[in-house]
Amino acid sequence: MQQTFPITDTELEALATHAVGSVYSTMLETDATLVSTMEVGGSDCEEGSALPIDTDQTLIAGTVGFIGRLSGVIYIFMDLPLALKITCRLLDLKTQEIEAEGHETVNDAIGELTNMIVGAFKNDLSNKGYECRMTIPSILRGSSFSIEPAEVGLRRVFKFDCDGSSFVIDILMKEETQF
Amino acid sequence: MRVKILTVDDSKTVRIIVKKSFKSFDCDVVEAQNGVEGLAMAAKENPDIVLLDITMPVMDGVEMLTKLKSDPELKSIPVIMLTAEAGRENVMKIAKVGVRDYIVKPFKEDVLIDKVSRVIDLRPAGESAPAQKNIDDPMDILVVEDQPAIIEQIKSGFGHTPWEVHGVASTGEAIDFCQRKVPDCILISLSIPDDAAITLFRIIRSNAKTKYVPLFGLSVKTALEEQQRAQQAGFSTIITKPIDFGDLESKIGKAVNLDTSGKYFAMDDGFMTVKLPTACNPAVVNEVSTYLKTKTSEAVGAGISNVIFDTQAVESLNMEVVKLMLQSMKLCRDLSLKYALAGTTKIVSESKKFEESKDWNFCDSVDAAKGSF
Repeated sequence: MQQTFPITDTELEALATHAVGSVYSTMLETDATLVSTMEVGGSDCEEGSALPIDTDQTLIAGTVGFIGRLSGVIYIFMDLPLALKITCRLLDLKTQEIEAEGHETVNDAIGELTNMIVGAFKNDLSNKGYECRMTIPSILRGSSFSIEPAEVGLRRVFKFDCDGSSFVIDILMKEETQF
Repeated sequence: MRVKILTVDDSKTVRIIVKKSFKSFDCDVVEAQNGVEGLAMAAKENPDIVLLDITMPVMDGVEMLTKLKSDPELKSIPVIMLTAEAGRENVMKIAKVGVRDYIVKPFKEDVLIDKVSRVIDLRPAGESAPAQKNIDDPMDILVVEDQPAIIEQIKSGFGHTPWEVHGVASTGEAIDFCQRKVPDCILISLSIPDDAAITLFRIIRSNAKTKYVPLFGLSVKTALEEQQRAQQAGFSTIITKPIDFGDLESKIGKAVNLDTSGKYFAMDDGFMTVKLPTACNPAVVNEVSTYLKTKTSEAVGAGISNVIFDTQAVESLNMEVVKLMLQSMKLCRDLSLKYALAGTTKIVSESKKFEESKDWNFCDSVDAAKGSF
């Protein structure tokens, strides 16, 4: 299955790096560097393995799906301190102002950040001839996540570093035969 | 003129970013979370431009855009799509419905400001705006039109106003006029040969003296191609011929930030009279509603305690008018003002058809209403 998948590992890595890079540089005026790539289901990373984020804090996950000839879902995981830092930078607000509003502001900001990253990823896929539509973002919070999809053609986990903190992009894709 | 921007996006983050981007400009940013709210807000606020997301719950941006463009009252509001979804298919779809431009997320604040300022006149906050005029003040309207009959028609159409219409036949004459005297508003015929209207538009916009003067295009209703070219060049308002002078007067009034409250509100002999006109369309209702609070406060300040709502000229009572009256009555009650209604037998009978107005009592004249207190 993996050998016949229309997107190669190199292309997927380029798509992920470009999407993250363009959103971080444009909206947050900072860089995100790719640290590692994991092939889930491969020898170095089994399905259900822990995410490669070095933190004991609560995690926040933004998720947006895309549907077309290539369908899938992209998760962005980060710990709450990084999510708060990103929200401050995105909205040009102080930590106290954001904390005063409760979870909603951080959730919305990470949801929008995910939406933009998946949007940039999806637009690059469209330019390669794979038109697709996006779903509305959703947010999860928790301390331990394990994603075991029922059916997937390609799954890669990319770990990025940004200002000394790490975050993870988990991309799950499959080719739709009905399209 | 303080412009109004409507941002329609389900993301609070994007709405905050949009608000922040225009903080240093003389404008109000109003918000809506989805297409349904966006349409309601567009009808209520009559914004100068809409920034519209595509993927939203309840009603998405494409559906809202389609509904907006099929509503005669709202279709002229320019729309810029602000979306994470670019892609050829999406762009083609929204272009067909009629958007002025689109911005793909992620976006730089500068790009957003640049694209919006191509469509509306964004004035930096604090930059002195011209003193507000009212309906009795004279104004200079420059009409650039090579058909003398149209100039005469416009002169005659504004005959009841203190506005002076100056007609010129060419762009050269228009530039000469603007050098001698800056007009309050300029109407340019889009059918002058060699795209002269677009050239003149650019010259006027690039001149510091005239850059904020409201500029309207004049075009035959069916000349869609020339209207589209003008809109792409930056014309935000196109007036179609044959000219609806009521509509044009209202558009000029809004563009020059004219205080039109004198058309509806009068204060004398200890009474404030709110006189509604014959055609109470949503634009008129919105205009009256805008002044309501200020004028009522002014009345209280002047020691007036009685208000008369005069609907005798109103052609037909619709829900918008009923809502306006309810809003006005509530305001009077809140400020401990007494009020009375004046209306014709037709209006009285129409008021019985609405649950909200079926118990209203009307006097048959303003004098009778005055006597009822």
